[in-house]
Amino acid sequence: MQYAPLAFGFANLAMLGWLAAAAIPILIHLWNKRRYREESWAAIEFLLAALNKTSRRMWLEQWLLLALRMALVAVIVLAVAQPFWQASGLAFAPGQRTLKMFVIDNSYSMGYRPTDKSRFERAKQRAVQIVEESTQGDAFMLVLLGSPPSVVVGTPAGDRRDFLDEIEALKLAHTSADLPATLVRLEELLAAVDDAGLSRRELIFLTDLGRNTWAPDLKGEEAAGYRQRLDHLASQAVLSIVDVGQGGSENMAVTDLAMQEPLATTAREVALETQIRNFGNQARNRHLVEFYVDGRRTKERYVDVPAGEQAALVFTHRFDTVGEHVAEVRLGGDLLDVDNHRWLSLDVKDRVRVLCVNGKPGAQPMTGAADYVVLALNPDAGEGINSGQVEPEVIAESGLLERDLGVYDCVFLCNVAQFTSAEARVLEKVLARGGGLVFFLGDQVLADRYNQELADGNTHVLPARLGEVISEPQYQYRFDPLNYRHPLLSAFQGREQSGLLTTPVYKYFRLQPLPKSRVALAFYGGDPAIVEQTLGRGRSVVMATEGSLSSVDPKTKDPWTTMPAWPSFLPMVQEILSLAVRGQQVEHNLEVGQPLGDSLDGMTARPTVEVNTPGGARDEVRMSLEGQVSRWTYTDTLQSGLYHVVLGAPLSRQENFSVNVDTSESDLARAAVEDLPRQFSARERMGLEQTDFANVSYRGGFHKQLLYLALGLLLAETLVAWWYGHAR
Amino acid sequence: MQDNRKFLDPRTLAKLQGLELRARSIVEGYVSGAHRSPYHGFSVEFAEHREYAPGDDLRYVDWKVFGKTDKVYLKQYEEETNLIAQLVLDTSESMRYQSAQAPLSKLEYAECVCAALAYLVLEQQDSIGLATFDSELRTMVRPSGNPSHFKQLLHVIQSAVPRRKTRIGPTFHDLAERLKRRGLVVVLSDLFDDVHSMLTGLKHLRHRRHEVIIFHVLDPAELEFPFGNTTLFHGLEEMPDVLTNPRALRQAYLDEFGRFLQSVRKGCRAEHIDYLLLRTDQSLEVALSSFLASRMSRAR
Repeated sequence: MQYAPLAFGFANLAMLGWLAAAAIPILIHLWNKRRYREESWAAIEFLLAALNKTSRRMWLEQWLLLALRMALVAVIVLAVAQPFWQASGLAFAPGQRTLKMFVIDNSYSMGYRPTDKSRFERAKQRAVQIVEESTQGDAFMLVLLGSPPSVVVGTPAGDRRDFLDEIEALKLAHTSADLPATLVRLEELLAAVDDAGLSRRELIFLTDLGRNTWAPDLKGEEAAGYRQRLDHLASQAVLSIVDVGQGGSENMAVTDLAMQEPLATTAREVALETQIRNFGNQARNRHLVEFYVDGRRTKERYVDVPAGEQAALVFTHRFDTVGEHVAEVRLGGDLLDVDNHRWLSLDVKDRVRVLCVNGKPGAQPMTGAADYVVLALNPDAGEGINSGQVEPEVIAESGLLERDLGVYDCVFLCNVAQFTSAEARVLEKVLARGGGLVFFLGDQVLADRYNQELADGNTHVLPARLGEVISEPQYQYRFDPLNYRHPLLSAFQGREQSGLLTTPVYKYFRLQPLPKSRVALAFYGGDPAIVEQTLGRGRSVVMATEGSLSSVDPKTKDPWTTMPAWPSFLPMVQEILSLAVRGQQVEHNLEVGQPLGDSLDGMTARPTVEVNTPGGARDEVRMSLEGQVSRWTYTDTLQSGLYHVVLGAPLSRQENFSVNVDTSESDLARAAVEDLPRQFSARERMGLEQTDFANVSYRGGFHKQLLYLALGLLLAETLVAWWYGHAR
Repeated sequence: MQDNRKFLDPRTLAKLQGLELRARSIVEGYVSGAHRSPYHGFSVEFAEHREYAPGDDLRYVDWKVFGKTDKVYLKQYEEETNLIAQLVLDTSESMRYQSAQAPLSKLEYAECVCAALAYLVLEQQDSIGLATFDSELRTMVRPSGNPSHFKQLLHVIQSAVPRRKTRIGPTFHDLAERLKRRGLVVVLSDLFDDVHSMLTGLKHLRHRRHEVIIFHVLDPAELEFPFGNTTLFHGLEEMPDVLTNPRALRQAYLDEFGRFLQSVRKGCRAEHIDYLLLRTDQSLEVALSSFLASRMSRAR
C-alpha cells in the first residue's frame, strides 16, 4: 500500500460538467461581435490608423477580460463541486481498484416512509446505484449498522450480480444502531482484507443521520476510543455519508405496555398501562389508540399528546381463561409504522401461589416468623390490592425439600436459620425458571451459613452477603428511600402517610450487596435495607431485618422491628411480591435482538421447537441438553412482533413471545452537522424524489477559499472592465 | 423659393448686413477705386502694349503704333475691380456624413455657408463664382456680380451629388491653373485626404497670389468619437469596413485625429491661409461672423 501526503478529489464529480459553462464568456464575446450597430463613417482612415496602433493592446485586453470571466465561472463551478484534499490519504493511481464497503443504517427509523419508498429502500437503491457506477475490478463489502452490527458480505466481493442480490435481499431490522460497536467491526473487517490490489478503500455510510446514532453519549475512555477508531478508519479509507434522512421527523410511538399488577389472574380485571409518546414538533390531538387481546380488538381510545410529551392510558381486561394471552396496543398510522405497535405476553393464572417458609414457628397466632407476611400477602379483610389473587401456603423450614417448588410463583423465606446445599440448589431452580425469592432475616439467621451456601458457594441465590448485626440500645433506625429511584418504592412516593419513613427498626443485618445487585431501600447512615438482583430469569430480594415481631433482642426485649405492625408493611410486601415474580412475565416479553428461549428441567426427551416469526417465516430450533436441563434458544429476533413457539411432544404446548422495539430510535431528530465526526470527508444528501448530490461539505475541502477567489476575480473583472471602458 | 430660403437664414444675414467684406491686401479692393487692380482691363487707364495674337479684339489695336512701325500692338489698361470670390465646395462622399447629434450633414452645412457667402458678396456688388469637386473639379461657375447669378449658384449647389472619393491636392492644382484672375478662394471641405498633397495644392493657389480661406467642416462625432458598443463602421469613399469596440479605440482615434487637425492648421499658418474649423452642430452665423470679424481686423 502506497501513501501520499495529499490526495485530491471531488465528491460531487457531476458538478464538474458545469465547467463547460466557462465557455459562456467566449460565446457572449462572439455573440457580441455578431451583435453590433452599424455606422457609416467618413473618417475611417483615422480609425484604421488608431486600430493599427492599438490592435495588439486591445487584443490583450480582451483576452485578459475573457480569461478573468472564464476563470470566474470555472472557480465557482469548482467551488460547488466541493474539492477536497485528504491528508495522509492513499495515493490513487489511475486504474487502481477500489474496495467499497457499504454500511447501511439498519435501525428502524430507516423505516420512515415520507414517500412511497422508505429511507431504507432508498438507501438500498443508492447503494445499488453506486455499485452499478463503479468501475470494473472494484470490490464490495456490506455491513449493517445496527445493534449489534451485522456483517452481510464480510470479504471483498467482485461478483457484482451476487452483491446486488445481497443488497436486494436486505430487510430492515427493528433495532437501534450502535455506531461505536459497528466501527469496531469495520476495523476488524478492514484489517482482514489482504488483497493488495484494493489499495483504495471507501467506507460509505447510508444513513438517516439519527441523533441517537450519530451523536452517541460517550464519556471518558469510551469517547476517546470512539475518536481513535474513527481516526484509524479515516487513515485507512475515505469515509463518506449518504444522507437519506429527508422528509420530516414527526412520529408517534407506543413506548410502553405493562401490567399494573404483578401477575395476571382470572380472579379480577387486569389493568394494563400504555405510554404514548409524541416525538414530533406538532401536537397530535384525538390520536386513535386501539387495544387488542389475542388479536381481537376490544377497546379503542383517543388521546391528545402535546409535542415532545407523553400520555398514559390504562386499558382493563378480564381474562376468562388461564394460560398464554397476548395484549397489543396499536396507534393510528403515521410515517413510521414499526413503533406504532407494542405487544405484551401474559401468563394468566387462576391465582398467584406463594410458599412461605416459616423459620420460627410461634405457639400463638401472629407470633410465627411468617404470620405477618402471610397476612400481608392475603389480608383477611379482602381490602388488599391483590385480595383473592394470592394464595399463600406456609411450611416449616424442614419441608423445603419435600415440596415441588415448580408450582409456586414466589417463595418467602422468613427468619430461616440456615440452608443446606440441596436446599440452595432447589432455590436456585426457582430463580432459573423465573420465580421469585424473598428473604426476611431475623434472630434465627446464621449469617455465615447464608453466605456460604447462598452467596459464596456454587449456588448464588442471595443478592447480598450478610454482615454483622447492627443495633444500638434505645436507637431507632429509619429508612432512607434513596429518592424513590427504585421501582419497588414508586408506590410510596408522595404517600408519606404510609409510614415508610417512620418505620422503626432496632436491629438489622448489615448487607453487603454483591455485584450487579441493586439497593432498593437503605437506612439513614448508608446501610442497605432491601437489596435485589435478577438471577437466572427470576429475582431475589433480601430484607435486612425481620418480617414479623418474633425476633426479640434478649437484652432490651425489643423486637428487631415493629414494621409488621406498621402501615407501610402491607404495601411493602405486596410490592416485593410484585418485583419478585415479575421475571415470569419478563421472560416472554423481550426487546428486539434479545434471544427467545427456555430451559426445561428433567427433560430427557428432545421435543421439536418451531418458531413462527412475525414476518411469517417458520424456523425449527434444536434443543440442547445440559445435564438434566434442556434448553432451546432462538436468536433471530430482529423483527418486532409476536413470535409463536410450538413445543412438540411430549410437551405439546404453545408459547407466545412478545418482541418490542427499543423506542429510543423513535426519536427522529437528526444529528447536526457539527455533531458528525470530522473524519467523514463527504456528505451527500439525497432529496426525496431524486438521488442527486446536493449540499456537500468536506473535511479538508477548500471550496470556501475558491469562493473567496471567485469574489476576488469578480472584483478584478469589474475593475479591469471599468478601466478599459472608462478610465482612459 | 423655399429652397433658397433654406440657405438664406435671416438671422445669419442680419449679423452680416453691418459688416463690410473686404479683401485682404493682396486682393484688389472690392470697392471701385479703392484698390489698384493687378488685372489688365480695357476700360480705364493705359498700362502698356503687347503684341497682337490671333483672336485678340481688334478694337484695342493701337493704330498709331501700327502706322509708325507696321507692327500690331494692343493697348492694355489698368482696370478698377471689385472683390472676386471663388467658392470651392467639396462634394465628395465623405461630406454626406451626418451623425445623430448633428442637425445637418457636412455637405448640407457647407452648402448653407456657400449660399450665405454668395448672397452677401452679391449684395455688395462684388463677384462670386463656384466650383465643386470630389476626385476632380466637377462644375465651375465663373464669377459674376449680377444679382441673378445667385440663383444659378444655388442651382449648382443643390445639384451636387456626393458619391466619389476626394482628391484635394490635384484638384487645387487644376483650380489654380483655371483661375485667371486673382481673388479670394473660399474652400469648404472636410479635407479628408492626404495632408501633404492638399497643402501642396493650396501652396499652388497661394503662388498664384490668391487669398485662401479654409472652412474645415467637420461633424461633432468625428471630433469626439462618442460611440460605445461594438460597431461596424462602413468606410465611405471606397474605404474598408471596420468592426471594433469603439470604447477601447476612442483615445487612439482622438490622438490620430488631433494630429491631422494640427498638421492642417500648421500648414495653413505657414501659407498665410485663414483656417476655421466649423462643427456642423455649430450655428452658421456664429462661425461666419467670427471669421469675417477676424478678417476685417487683419485687413486694417
